[in-house]
Amino acid sequence: MTECTRCGREAVMHAAYSGAHLCESHFCETVEKRVRKRVREDGLVPRDATPDDPETWVIGLSGGKDSVVLTHILDETFAEDPRIELVALTIHEGIEGYRDESVGACVELADELSLRHELVTYEDEFGVRMDDVVEDDPENMAACAYCGVFRRDLLERYADEFGADKLLTGHNLDDEAQTAMMNFLEGDVAQMAKHFDASIGGFDGDDARSDQDEFVPRAKPLRDVPEKEVALYCHLRDLPAHITECPHSSEAYRAEIQQLLYGLEENHPGTRHSIMAGYEELAGVLADRYDEDGDGPDLHECEDCGATTTRDRCRKCSLLDSLEAV
Amino acid sequence: MQVTVDVKGETTHEVDLPKPTYADVLRAVDLSPHEVSVLVDGRPVPEDQPVESSEVTVLRLIKGG
Repeated sequence: MTECTRCGREAVMHAAYSGAHLCESHFCETVEKRVRKRVREDGLVPRDATPDDPETWVIGLSGGKDSVVLTHILDETFAEDPRIELVALTIHEGIEGYRDESVGACVELADELSLRHELVTYEDEFGVRMDDVVEDDPENMAACAYCGVFRRDLLERYADEFGADKLLTGHNLDDEAQTAMMNFLEGDVAQMAKHFDASIGGFDGDDARSDQDEFVPRAKPLRDVPEKEVALYCHLRDLPAHITECPHSSEAYRAEIQQLLYGLEENHPGTRHSIMAGYEELAGVLADRYDEDGDGPDLHECEDCGATTTRDRCRKCSLLDSLEAV
Repeated sequence: MQVTVDVKGETTHEVDLPKPTYADVLRAVDLSPHEVSVLVDGRPVPEDQPVESSEVTVLRLIKGG
Protein backbone atom coordinates (compact mmCIF):
# COMPACT_ATOMS: atom_id res chain seq x y z
CA MET A 1 0.00 0.00 0.00
CA THR A 2 1.21 3.50 -0.85
CA GLU A 3 0.60 6.05 1.87
CA CYS A 4 -0.90 9.51 1.46
CA THR A 5 1.87 12.11 1.69
CA ARG A 6 -0.28 14.08 4.14
CA CYS A 7 -1.97 11.59 6.45
CA GLY A 8 -0.65 8.08 5.90
CA ARG A 9 -3.95 6.63 4.66
CA GLU A 10 -4.02 4.61 1.44
CA ALA A 11 -3.19 6.78 -1.59
CA VAL A 12 -5.51 6.71 -4.62
CA MET A 13 -3.39 8.87 -6.91
CA HIS A 14 0.06 10.18 -7.69
CA ALA A 15 0.57 13.69 -9.05
CA ALA A 16 3.94 13.41 -10.79
CA TYR A 17 4.10 17.21 -11.25
CA SER A 18 4.11 17.78 -7.48
CA GLY A 19 5.42 14.42 -6.28
CA ALA A 20 2.43 13.96 -3.95
CA HIS A 21 0.59 10.72 -3.27
CA LEU A 22 -2.88 11.51 -1.98
CA CYS A 23 -5.69 9.58 -0.31
CA GLU A 24 -9.27 10.04 -1.43
CA SER A 25 -10.12 12.79 1.03
CA HIS A 26 -6.93 14.79 0.60
CA PHE A 27 -7.13 14.44 -3.16
CA CYS A 28 -10.73 15.70 -3.27
CA GLU A 29 -9.80 18.53 -0.93
CA THR A 30 -6.96 19.66 -3.22
CA VAL A 31 -9.27 19.71 -6.25
CA GLU A 32 -11.79 21.86 -4.38
CA LYS A 33 -9.03 24.15 -3.07
CA ARG A 34 -7.59 24.66 -6.54
CA VAL A 35 -10.99 25.71 -7.89
CA ARG A 36 -11.59 28.11 -4.99
CA LYS A 37 -8.10 29.55 -5.33
CA ARG A 38 -8.68 30.18 -9.02
CA VAL A 39 -12.03 31.85 -8.25
CA ARG A 40 -10.19 34.13 -5.80
CA GLU A 41 -7.16 34.83 -7.97
CA ASP A 42 -9.28 35.65 -11.01
CA GLY A 43 -11.39 37.97 -8.84
CA LEU A 44 -14.66 36.31 -9.87
CA VAL A 45 -16.58 37.63 -6.86
CA PRO A 46 -16.56 41.41 -7.23
CA ARG A 47 -16.31 43.58 -4.12
CA ASP A 48 -19.61 45.26 -4.91
CA ALA A 49 -21.64 42.02 -4.94
CA THR A 50 -24.02 42.09 -1.96
CA PRO A 51 -27.00 40.02 -0.81
CA ASP A 52 -29.22 42.85 -2.07
CA ASP A 53 -27.44 43.06 -5.40
CA PRO A 54 -26.02 39.59 -6.04
CA GLU A 55 -23.98 38.41 -9.02
CA THR A 56 -25.50 35.85 -11.36
CA TRP A 57 -23.24 33.12 -12.71
CA VAL A 58 -24.52 30.95 -15.53
CA ILE A 59 -22.70 27.61 -15.68
CA GLY A 60 -22.57 25.76 -18.99
CA LEU A 61 -23.63 22.28 -17.83
CA SER A 62 -23.29 19.61 -20.52
CA GLY A 63 -23.56 16.61 -18.22
CA GLY A 64 -20.00 15.51 -18.98
CA LYS A 65 -17.54 15.10 -16.11
CA ASP A 66 -15.95 18.54 -16.37
CA SER A 67 -19.08 20.66 -16.13
CA VAL A 68 -20.62 18.30 -13.54
CA VAL A 69 -17.55 18.62 -11.29
CA LEU A 70 -17.45 22.41 -11.77
CA THR A 71 -21.16 22.74 -10.94
CA HIS A 72 -20.79 20.50 -7.88
CA ILE A 73 -17.83 22.46 -6.46
CA LEU A 74 -19.33 25.88 -7.19
CA ASP A 75 -22.58 24.82 -5.57
CA GLU A 76 -20.73 23.54 -2.48
CA THR A 77 -18.83 26.82 -2.30
CA PHE A 78 -21.56 29.33 -3.09
CA ALA A 79 -24.98 27.74 -2.42
CA GLU A 80 -25.09 29.45 0.99
CA ASP A 81 -23.45 32.67 -0.22
CA PRO A 82 -26.17 35.31 -0.78
CA ARG A 83 -23.85 37.34 -3.03
CA ILE A 84 -23.85 34.70 -5.78
CA GLU A 85 -26.76 33.17 -7.70
CA LEU A 86 -26.04 30.10 -9.79
CA VAL A 87 -27.98 29.04 -12.89
CA ALA A 88 -27.12 25.89 -14.85
CA LEU A 89 -27.64 26.07 -18.62
CA THR A 90 -27.75 22.90 -20.73
CA ILE A 91 -27.80 22.81 -24.51
CA HIS A 92 -29.25 19.89 -26.45
CA GLU A 93 -27.58 19.75 -29.85
CA GLY A 94 -29.87 17.11 -31.31
CA ILE A 95 -27.54 14.15 -30.98
CA GLU A 96 -29.75 11.18 -30.41
CA GLY A 97 -28.95 8.91 -27.49
CA TYR A 98 -25.78 10.76 -26.51
CA ARG A 99 -27.29 14.06 -25.47
CA ASP A 100 -30.58 12.60 -24.23
CA GLU A 101 -28.63 10.70 -21.60
CA SER A 102 -26.37 13.55 -20.58
CA VAL A 103 -29.38 15.87 -20.20
CA GLY A 104 -30.65 13.24 -17.75
CA ALA A 105 -27.39 13.59 -15.78
CA CYS A 106 -27.82 17.38 -15.74
CA VAL A 107 -31.40 17.16 -14.48
CA GLU A 108 -30.34 14.69 -11.77
CA LEU A 109 -27.49 16.92 -10.59
CA ALA A 110 -29.59 20.10 -10.63
CA ASP A 111 -32.33 18.31 -8.66
CA GLU A 112 -29.84 17.04 -6.09
CA LEU A 113 -28.42 20.52 -5.63
CA SER A 114 -31.80 22.32 -5.90
CA LEU A 115 -30.17 24.43 -8.59
CA ARG A 116 -32.06 26.46 -11.20
CA HIS A 117 -31.63 24.55 -14.47
CA GLU A 118 -32.48 25.73 -17.99
CA LEU A 119 -32.47 23.62 -21.15
CA VAL A 120 -32.35 24.99 -24.70
CA THR A 121 -32.16 23.01 -27.92
CA TYR A 122 -30.70 23.61 -31.39
CA GLU A 123 -33.97 22.30 -32.77
CA ASP A 124 -36.17 24.88 -31.02
CA GLU A 125 -33.71 27.72 -31.51
CA PHE A 126 -32.37 27.07 -35.00
CA GLY A 127 -34.58 24.32 -36.45
CA VAL A 128 -31.57 22.02 -36.87
CA ARG A 129 -30.26 18.87 -35.19
CA MET A 130 -26.56 17.99 -35.20
CA ASP A 131 -27.40 14.45 -36.41
CA ASP A 132 -28.80 16.04 -39.62
CA VAL A 133 -26.09 18.71 -39.84
CA VAL A 134 -23.33 16.05 -40.08
CA GLU A 135 -25.31 14.24 -42.77
CA ASP A 136 -25.79 17.38 -44.90
CA ASP A 137 -22.43 19.04 -44.13
CA PRO A 138 -22.77 21.84 -46.72
CA GLU A 139 -19.48 23.52 -45.74
CA ASN A 140 -17.44 20.32 -45.75
CA MET A 141 -16.34 20.86 -42.14
CA ALA A 142 -15.89 18.77 -39.01
CA ALA A 143 -19.03 18.39 -36.89
CA CYS A 144 -17.43 20.33 -34.01
CA ALA A 145 -16.93 23.36 -36.27
CA TYR A 146 -20.70 23.76 -36.75
CA CYS A 147 -21.56 22.67 -33.24
CA GLY A 148 -19.12 25.10 -31.59
CA VAL A 149 -20.58 28.08 -33.45
CA PHE A 150 -24.15 27.12 -32.50
CA ARG A 151 -23.26 26.32 -28.89
CA ARG A 152 -21.37 29.60 -28.33
CA ASP A 153 -24.30 31.53 -29.80
CA LEU A 154 -26.80 29.93 -27.42
CA LEU A 155 -24.56 30.11 -24.34
CA GLU A 156 -24.01 33.80 -24.97
CA ARG A 157 -27.63 34.58 -25.80
CA TYR A 158 -29.13 32.72 -22.85
CA ALA A 159 -26.48 33.81 -20.36
CA ASP A 160 -27.46 37.34 -21.33
CA GLU A 161 -31.16 36.56 -21.10
CA PHE A 162 -30.77 35.10 -17.60
CA GLY A 163 -28.95 38.25 -16.51
CA ALA A 164 -25.56 36.59 -16.16
CA ASP A 165 -22.67 38.68 -14.90
CA LYS A 166 -20.39 35.80 -15.84
CA LEU A 167 -20.55 32.63 -17.89
CA LEU A 168 -18.56 29.77 -16.37
CA THR A 169 -17.42 26.68 -18.26
CA GLY A 170 -15.73 23.46 -17.20
CA HIS A 171 -12.51 23.66 -19.24
CA ASN A 172 -9.75 21.75 -17.47
CA LEU A 173 -5.95 22.10 -17.55
CA ASP A 174 -5.54 19.72 -20.49
CA ASP A 175 -8.15 21.61 -22.56
CA GLU A 176 -6.47 24.94 -21.95
CA ALA A 177 -2.90 23.70 -22.47
CA GLN A 178 -4.02 22.17 -25.78
CA THR A 179 -5.64 25.45 -26.85
CA ALA A 180 -2.50 27.38 -25.85
CA MET A 181 -0.27 25.01 -27.86
CA MET A 182 -2.61 25.18 -30.86
CA ASN A 183 -2.50 28.98 -30.82
CA PHE A 184 1.32 28.89 -30.62
CA LEU A 185 1.73 26.33 -33.38
CA GLU A 186 -0.74 28.15 -35.61
CA GLY A 187 1.13 31.41 -34.91
CA ASP A 188 -2.16 33.00 -33.94
CA VAL A 189 -0.99 35.86 -31.72
CA ALA A 190 -4.25 37.80 -32.05
CA GLN A 191 -6.13 34.73 -30.83
CA MET A 192 -3.92 34.58 -27.70
CA ALA A 193 -4.84 38.18 -26.84
CA LYS A 194 -8.50 37.40 -27.51
CA HIS A 195 -8.33 34.25 -25.34
CA PHE A 196 -7.03 36.38 -22.44
CA ASP A 197 -9.75 39.02 -22.69
CA ALA A 198 -12.52 36.50 -23.34
CA SER A 199 -11.93 33.91 -20.63
CA ILE A 200 -8.57 33.53 -18.87
CA GLY A 201 -7.69 37.05 -17.75
CA GLY A 202 -8.51 38.05 -14.16
CA PHE A 203 -11.24 40.55 -13.26
CA ASP A 204 -9.24 42.74 -10.89
CA GLY A 205 -5.69 43.90 -10.25
CA ASP A 206 -3.12 45.47 -12.56
CA ASP A 207 -3.16 42.58 -14.96
CA ALA A 208 -6.96 42.36 -15.34
CA ARG A 209 -8.59 41.71 -18.70
CA SER A 210 -10.09 44.67 -20.49
CA ASP A 211 -13.85 45.12 -20.36
CA GLN A 212 -15.76 43.57 -23.21
CA ASP A 213 -19.12 45.23 -23.03
CA GLU A 214 -20.52 43.32 -25.97
CA PHE A 215 -20.12 39.86 -24.41
CA VAL A 216 -20.96 38.19 -21.13
CA PRO A 217 -17.49 37.68 -19.58
CA ARG A 218 -16.40 34.06 -19.33
CA ALA A 219 -14.33 32.26 -16.74
CA LYS A 220 -12.83 28.78 -16.36
CA PRO A 221 -12.37 28.03 -12.67
CA LEU A 222 -11.46 24.36 -13.31
CA ARG A 223 -8.50 25.17 -15.52
CA ASP A 224 -5.80 24.35 -12.95
CA VAL A 225 -7.00 20.78 -12.58
CA PRO A 226 -5.69 18.12 -15.01
CA GLU A 227 -8.41 16.29 -16.91
CA LYS A 228 -7.52 12.97 -15.32
CA GLU A 229 -8.01 14.44 -11.86
CA VAL A 230 -11.38 15.89 -12.83
CA ALA A 231 -12.44 12.40 -13.91
CA LEU A 232 -11.06 10.84 -10.73
CA TYR A 233 -12.85 13.40 -8.55
CA CYS A 234 -16.10 12.70 -10.42
CA HIS A 235 -15.63 8.95 -9.87
CA LEU A 236 -14.71 9.23 -6.18
CA ARG A 237 -17.56 11.65 -5.37
CA ASP A 238 -19.94 9.46 -7.37
CA LEU A 239 -21.35 12.42 -9.28
CA PRO A 240 -23.99 11.79 -11.95
CA ALA A 241 -21.85 12.48 -15.01
CA HIS A 242 -22.57 11.05 -18.40
CA ILE A 243 -19.47 9.31 -19.69
CA THR A 244 -19.78 8.59 -23.38
CA GLU A 245 -17.87 10.13 -26.25
CA CYS A 246 -19.88 12.32 -28.62
CA PRO A 247 -20.50 10.17 -31.75
CA HIS A 248 -19.65 13.13 -34.01
CA SER A 249 -16.47 14.14 -32.17
CA SER A 250 -13.78 14.88 -34.74
CA GLU A 251 -11.16 17.37 -33.63
CA ALA A 252 -8.18 15.73 -35.30
CA TYR A 253 -5.62 18.49 -34.68
CA ARG A 254 -6.56 18.84 -31.02
CA ALA A 255 -6.23 15.07 -30.60
CA GLU A 256 -2.74 15.21 -32.08
CA ILE A 257 -1.71 17.98 -29.66
CA GLN A 258 -3.25 16.01 -26.81
CA GLN A 259 -1.04 13.00 -27.59
CA LEU A 260 2.00 15.28 -27.85
CA LEU A 261 1.25 16.74 -24.42
CA TYR A 262 0.77 13.30 -22.85
CA GLY A 263 4.27 12.40 -24.02
CA LEU A 264 5.80 15.65 -22.78
CA GLU A 265 4.03 15.37 -19.43
CA GLU A 266 5.30 11.82 -19.05
CA ASN A 267 8.95 12.82 -19.61
CA HIS A 268 8.74 16.27 -18.00
CA PRO A 269 6.04 16.33 -15.31
CA GLY A 270 4.53 19.79 -14.91
CA THR A 271 4.69 20.68 -18.61
CA ARG A 272 0.98 21.55 -18.82
CA HIS A 273 1.22 23.82 -15.77
CA SER A 274 4.29 25.62 -17.12
CA ILE A 275 2.75 26.01 -20.58
CA MET A 276 -0.24 27.71 -18.99
CA ALA A 277 1.77 29.88 -16.58
CA GLY A 278 3.85 31.24 -19.44
CA TYR A 279 0.95 31.45 -21.85
CA GLU A 280 -1.27 33.40 -19.47
CA GLU A 281 1.47 35.94 -18.82
CA LEU A 282 2.21 36.27 -22.52
CA ALA A 283 -1.47 36.48 -23.49
CA GLY A 284 -1.93 39.24 -20.89
CA VAL A 285 0.96 41.25 -22.34
CA LEU A 286 -0.42 40.76 -25.85
CA ALA A 287 -3.93 41.76 -24.81
CA ASP A 288 -2.54 45.02 -23.35
CA ARG A 289 -0.56 45.71 -26.46
CA TYR A 290 -3.57 45.16 -28.77
CA ASP A 291 -5.62 47.32 -26.45
CA GLU A 292 -3.09 50.19 -26.62
CA ASP A 293 -2.87 49.96 -30.37
CA GLY A 294 -6.65 50.03 -30.62
CA ASP A 295 -6.33 46.99 -32.85
CA GLY A 296 -9.42 45.36 -31.41
CA PRO A 297 -11.90 43.83 -33.80
CA ASP A 298 -14.56 46.06 -35.30
CA LEU A 299 -17.71 44.71 -33.66
CA HIS A 300 -21.28 45.31 -34.70
CA GLU A 301 -24.66 43.59 -34.69
CA CYS A 302 -25.50 40.79 -37.07
CA GLU A 303 -28.03 42.16 -39.56
CA ASP A 304 -30.20 39.07 -39.13
CA CYS A 305 -30.13 38.06 -35.49
CA GLY A 306 -28.48 41.00 -33.70
CA ALA A 307 -25.66 38.88 -32.22
CA THR A 308 -22.30 40.64 -31.82
CA THR A 309 -20.06 39.85 -34.77
CA THR A 310 -17.12 41.16 -36.81
CA ARG A 311 -19.04 40.54 -40.06
CA ASP A 312 -22.28 41.87 -41.54
CA ARG A 313 -23.96 38.59 -40.73
CA CYS A 314 -22.72 36.36 -37.93
CA ARG A 315 -21.15 32.96 -38.55
CA LYS A 316 -24.16 31.16 -37.09
CA CYS A 317 -26.58 32.85 -39.51
CA SER A 318 -24.37 32.03 -42.50
CA LEU A 319 -24.09 28.40 -41.42
CA LEU A 320 -27.86 28.18 -40.97
CA ASP A 321 -28.25 29.60 -44.52
CA SER A 322 -25.97 26.96 -46.02
CA LEU A 323 -27.87 24.26 -44.15
CA GLU A 324 -31.15 25.65 -45.44
CA ALA A 325 -29.84 25.55 -49.02
CA VAL A 326 -29.08 21.80 -48.89
CA MET B 1 4.59 -10.80 -14.03
CA GLN B 2 1.44 -11.72 -15.95
CA VAL B 3 -1.27 -9.03 -15.76
CA THR B 4 -4.75 -8.99 -17.28
CA VAL B 5 -5.66 -5.45 -18.29
CA ASP B 6 -9.35 -4.79 -18.85
CA VAL B 7 -9.78 -1.50 -20.70
CA LYS B 8 -13.44 -0.78 -19.92
CA GLY B 9 -15.67 -0.64 -22.97
CA GLU B 10 -12.80 -1.76 -25.22
CA THR B 11 -10.52 -4.78 -25.14
CA THR B 12 -8.80 -6.97 -22.59
CA HIS B 13 -5.02 -7.38 -22.89
CA GLU B 14 -2.58 -9.85 -21.35
CA VAL B 15 0.82 -8.36 -20.60
CA ASP B 16 3.92 -9.97 -19.20
CA LEU B 17 6.50 -7.60 -17.69
CA PRO B 18 9.27 -7.95 -15.11
CA LYS B 19 8.32 -6.12 -11.87
CA PRO B 20 6.09 -3.56 -13.58
CA THR B 21 4.52 -0.41 -12.16
CA TYR B 22 0.92 0.37 -13.18
CA ALA B 23 2.36 3.02 -15.52
CA ASP B 24 4.52 0.34 -17.20
CA VAL B 25 1.42 -1.77 -17.75
CA LEU B 26 -0.36 1.21 -19.32
CA ARG B 27 2.60 1.89 -21.59
CA ALA B 28 2.53 -1.75 -22.70
CA VAL B 29 -1.05 -1.29 -23.94
CA ASP B 30 -0.25 2.09 -25.50
CA LEU B 31 -2.03 4.30 -22.99
CA SER B 32 -0.80 7.29 -21.01
CA PRO B 33 -1.45 7.60 -17.26
CA HIS B 34 -2.80 11.06 -18.12
CA GLU B 35 -5.70 9.69 -20.16
CA VAL B 36 -6.85 6.85 -17.89
CA SER B 37 -7.28 5.77 -14.29
CA VAL B 38 -6.24 2.34 -13.07
CA LEU B 39 -8.55 0.53 -10.67
CA VAL B 40 -7.72 -2.52 -8.58
CA ASP B 41 -10.74 -4.14 -6.95
CA GLY B 42 -12.71 -1.02 -7.83
CA ARG B 43 -10.28 1.38 -6.08
CA PRO B 44 -8.04 3.84 -7.96
CA VAL B 45 -4.31 3.24 -7.46
CA PRO B 46 -1.29 5.56 -7.95
CA GLU B 47 0.25 4.67 -11.32
CA ASP B 48 3.86 4.98 -10.14
CA GLN B 49 3.42 2.00 -7.78
CA PRO B 50 4.50 -1.62 -8.37
CA VAL B 51 1.69 -3.85 -9.62
CA GLU B 52 0.38 -6.10 -6.86
CA SER B 53 -2.63 -7.55 -8.60
CA SER B 54 -2.83 -9.87 -11.59
CA GLU B 55 -5.99 -8.11 -12.77
CA VAL B 56 -6.44 -4.40 -13.32
CA THR B 57 -9.25 -2.32 -14.76
CA VAL B 58 -8.52 0.75 -16.83
CA LEU B 59 -11.02 3.61 -17.16
CA ARG B 60 -10.45 5.82 -20.14
CA LEU B 61 -11.04 9.55 -19.97
CA ILE B 62 -14.05 10.71 -21.87
CA LYS B 63 -14.15 14.19 -23.30
CA GLY B 64 -16.72 16.25 -21.48
CA GLY B 65 -18.38 18.28 -24.26
